[in-house]
Amino acid sequence: MSVPSRLRTPNPHLGAYYGIITSAFVSLIIVLAMFEQLGWGRPLLAQSMLIVPLALYLLIAVGSRTLQAEDFFASGRRVPPVFNGFVLAATAIGGVGFLAYTGTVFFLGFDALAIGLGWTFGMLAAGILFVPYLRKAGAYTLPSFLGHRFRSRGLRMAASVMQLPPTALLVVAEIKIAALIASLFLPVSFSIAVLMLAALIAAIAILGGMRSLTWTGSAEFLVGAVGLTVVVTTVSILLTNLPAPQLTYGETFSSLHNAEITAGLTPVQPGELAAALPGPMPLATTKPFLQPFGILGEGDFATLFLCLALGTAALPSLLSRSGVTGSIAEQRRSTAWALLFVALFVMTAPAIAAFAKLIIFRDIALAPASSLPAWLTELADKHLLQTGDTNGDGTIGAAELLIGRDGIALALPAAAGLPYVLSVLMATAAMAIALAAAGAHLFTLAASLAEDLYRVLDRRQALPRLVAAWAAIAATALAATVFLLIAELDPLKAALTAFAFAAATFFPALLLAIWWRRSTKWGVMTAMATGFAVMLAETVLGGAFGLGTAGFSTSLASLIGAAIALVAGVAVSLYLRKPSKGEETYREEMRDPDGETIYDRAQARAAVQAAAAASAAEADAPSQ
Amino acid sequence: MATEIPADEHPARDRHQIQTLILAIAILSMALLAVFLTITAATWLNRYGFLHFPLGFYLLAQGLLIFIVAVGFWFIRMQERIDLARGESEGLE
Repeated sequence: MSVPSRLRTPNPHLGAYYGIITSAFVSLIIVLAMFEQLGWGRPLLAQSMLIVPLALYLLIAVGSRTLQAEDFFASGRRVPPVFNGFVLAATAIGGVGFLAYTGTVFFLGFDALAIGLGWTFGMLAAGILFVPYLRKAGAYTLPSFLGHRFRSRGLRMAASVMQLPPTALLVVAEIKIAALIASLFLPVSFSIAVLMLAALIAAIAILGGMRSLTWTGSAEFLVGAVGLTVVVTTVSILLTNLPAPQLTYGETFSSLHNAEITAGLTPVQPGELAAALPGPMPLATTKPFLQPFGILGEGDFATLFLCLALGTAALPSLLSRSGVTGSIAEQRRSTAWALLFVALFVMTAPAIAAFAKLIIFRDIALAPASSLPAWLTELADKHLLQTGDTNGDGTIGAAELLIGRDGIALALPAAAGLPYVLSVLMATAAMAIALAAAGAHLFTLAASLAEDLYRVLDRRQALPRLVAAWAAIAATALAATVFLLIAELDPLKAALTAFAFAAATFFPALLLAIWWRRSTKWGVMTAMATGFAVMLAETVLGGAFGLGTAGFSTSLASLIGAAIALVAGVAVSLYLRKPSKGEETYREEMRDPDGETIYDRAQARAAVQAAAAASAAEADAPSQ
Repeated sequence: MATEIPADEHPARDRHQIQTLILAIAILSMALLAVFLTITAATWLNRYGFLHFPLGFYLLAQGLLIFIVAVGFWFIRMQERIDLARGESEGLE
């Protein structure tokens, strides 16, 4: 007999295990720092710092392998809230947040704060509006929840198809960030790095599904948090004499302002949102850090904030983790922990950007072109920064200093004159978060393909459940690899588009399905299809028909799409038939905070019926 | 004299759903209002300082985030109270 999920107890030694993992990682940093002083070469230091954690993640995945469906798809529903919070936060931030958001704050300063604020508000909205009810429903995927809620296979399949673009974009964006880091610090090309990392993520997901992704993701979060904290705190002590970067980087603003004026940065005017966000190629800084609404106007700022808030709240990769804890209350707490961790990162990113900008502008800008600091050559070799005295005035101005957006966080330790081991530590931290996020997105996509499309299409169930999921994981990882090898992709733009898709497609649909008693299958289907169609039109046709140049930017399109979708969903629900008795019963049960998980109870009932049928057939057999 | 509750009426359930809805709307609109007010007033607030930060920048970079996290944990406490009250009421029905 299966035990109700709320009565299952998590492993009591988890805290000790992860304490040991964190201590081992800190010991590795200390040992490698000592070896650097003893003369170890940089390649060996980089390989040791990056590869040892990768081996650890694989080891954890092997240790948490499983062949049980509930473990594979829902981590056994016994993950403690803090650990689920670790993985949720890593998935929400990702390598894109770690590197590209930090770089965007470097270039846009004040204006980029909309992105972090959107993520944080989105986590709050998810925890209030969706997560507790998805936990009670207990479906393994978001499309499966919608399918069960309205007793509709068609809705489930449609949701699975519409979930593909945003989740696929996030998978490739995260793998690209991880591969970029590996190609910068390890002796492998970008293509080989993509192959290796996609294989690693797929292996982790195949070994234990959600279970192995939870336990490797927790370790990856801790590695990311330790790496970020050590580096930023060290830089903070060097620049402000205090080990609290979030509180002290304000002290550097007057020096930063002076360095910016010296380098020739002047206030700018708001422009188009689509063109405002910095791209991945090295580019010159044009906007002073503290200037409010210089590149994004107030309206664009609010639009970007709302788009990311709705997108985070309805992101399938985050919501698919809604069934992994023991109860509704624990799931709510896990979202609050994730909210706290995301907020801590979002508070730290501007400190990284401000410190990096201060050091780079102070040391380079208007210094004689003939005597630039030594660390510049190192960063230029890694293509993180380009500079040259193009106007021949003997100095380097802001316009002659081209900086790679995704390299700001990686460049900070070198620019601050810290030991090389801390540069690699920052890279290890960013890679850990990127891998955790890539794994979560990959599994969300593959699990939906296997559970919502294949199992619904193939009613004979020729393949057992886990084999279908393994095949889907391998196929998705292969497709992501091939895409990255042949196509150019800006990770930040891809991630923002994915959040915009989630905002327009899933936010209105979930709002109706969970909060409106009168919503129907066709209403929710219309809401999803409308939001998806608006986003598809913006993404595919935007450039072709000039919508992009008319200011109809991705984030604005997602908000318009979400609003139209909500209205369409309400109208269709009211116009067509009323919800059936079954739909109403499911909704009321979903809103009840007590009682067993709906999906688990249905599974148990099906198992009992199958056993009864089998025993009846057995009893009939001798009489024949 | 005890009043019979018809089988299709669930006062505890309906009360729970209304309280949950009010709490969700109150918390989300409070946080959203704080964000939009700060965005609107950020340039003006930047004239004042806090911990060496311009106030408008500080609120968007940290102050609102701290507020949202605090509100998130407060929501859990309130929602658990509402859930508990429903469980107790249903036990009495």
